Amino acid sequence: MFLTINAGDARPIYQQVADGIKELIASGKLAEGTPLPPVRQLAADLGVNLNTIATAYRELQRDGLLAVKHGSGSVVASSTTAERSLDELLRPLRTALTQMVLAGLPQKKILQLVINELQTVMQGRK
Amino acid sequence: MTHQFPGYGLFIGGFNGFSINQLHVIYYGLLWGGVRVRGCFRRWKQPLLRGEDWFFSVPVQHGFYSEEGATILRQYRVRMLSLFAIEVPAATAIFLSGQLQNLVWLILAMCILIHVNHVFSVNRAEQRAQKFATPGAEQPVSTIAISLKARRLRDFTNFKLEAAIAAISAAGLVWALRYYATAPEPRNLWIIFGTPLLLFYCQGGFLLAKVLIVAWRSPIPQVQAEEHIASREETRKFYLRTCDLGRINLAVTILFWPALLSAGPETREFAVKLWFAGSIVLGIVIAVWSEIKRKDMLKVTLRARPVKLPQFGGELGESSAPSDLWPLCYEPSAPTIILRSMRGYSLNLANRLTQLGAVYLAGLLALFVLIRFRL
Repeated sequence: MFLTINAGDARPIYQQVADGIKELIASGKLAEGTPLPPVRQLAADLGVNLNTIATAYRELQRDGLLAVKHGSGSVVASSTTAERSLDELLRPLRTALTQMVLAGLPQKKILQLVINELQTVMQGRK
Repeated sequence: MTHQFPGYGLFIGGFNGFSINQLHVIYYGLLWGGVRVRGCFRRWKQPLLRGEDWFFSVPVQHGFYSEEGATILRQYRVRMLSLFAIEVPAATAIFLSGQLQNLVWLILAMCILIHVNHVFSVNRAEQRAQKFATPGAEQPVSTIAISLKARRLRDFTNFKLEAAIAAISAAGLVWALRYYATAPEPRNLWIIFGTPLLLFYCQGGFLLAKVLIVAWRSPIPQVQAEEHIASREETRKFYLRTCDLGRINLAVTILFWPALLSAGPETREFAVKLWFAGSIVLGIVIAVWSEIKRKDMLKVTLRARPVKLPQFGGELGESSAPSDLWPLCYEPSAPTIILRSMRGYSLNLANRLTQLGAVYLAGLLALFVLIRFRL
């Protein structure tokens, strides 16, 4: 199970870590109860500040995806995030769709891209 | 009973006879000599293992070895062989003095020197070769992959082996206690327990080394990820097994020590000789095993093309700036033992494992002094 981090990505490292773990949970590759490596190990592997990984883990915890068990580390708590309003969920999608429209992509192509991405995200999920 | 040196010296103290000296010479000449020559051959060939397009892990331009590369290669090899300039006079002095038990200390010192010198030489040679690297080779890969599997010491532990080591060590300790309780007065606490104490401490050192090996950071490039993982894990396993072999050796020695003390004067010298002969045979077996495993490790390593990994140094905050205390630094927020700064690599004194290592070495030194002077 691998998490990929891109040095050229505009997102900060903690966001890439959090998003990467979310993607793995969404695709079913990280099932409920799966232990995650300690903050120290992940930070050492990436060569980043401990707080960078701690921030990512806190975000996952806030979303209800991660549970920190005292003494036994962090585990995937759920494959669904804590309840959020539809408007809140639609906001990033709307932003992405706006970018695609502004980039001049035709509607059909955008729809195809969205379907393909959805299939990629959900592959392996029961 | 006399004893002049801690640990190993204690072991043979009082048994200095000609035959034991002969065994020392065999140990040094045959076992260490063989390992040393093989190591030199291995390091001699190391820069060219990937072919003439590479210098260690630096992809070099065509014709590199006929120009500046020849000088860099020669200097690397001279630096590698330069340690003989220390070892040969030191060994000669030991032979001339007749204190052949000191050969063991020479071997230990040379082991440390050889490894430090190798790391330094490779680093320096690679840095110089970077100037002649193929265009674009200095660019790090953009995407890296990191494993989400927790690396814990227990995942790399053979519990049957651990049980065996614990049982052998405990048997040795119980035997030593029994010997102490039944031995006639005057009983010397340091002679009976000094060596086992040192051996137990060394066991702890090997365990600490295992923790360090397991914790060693292992990011991999997304390209050829499987080959890189296989290479990292094979290397990790090799060094963990080497630590375990050392621990088995120490456990057996802990058991042998009270056996030696309990033996009568007529059988004691025979027991020492037997132990020495056993050590030589075992040393040869381990050296052969090590060579076979190294070759296996090399096969796996060569499949993975070396790449430069990106540094997310900016995330480390202050540590990315040159440290005033180079080559030492203090970065509590950085999880790594070694940090890269503008002036080169620095040892992070804020790291828990660095602190443990420092405390361990200080303890080892104190123990040596205690046993040597029987405080």
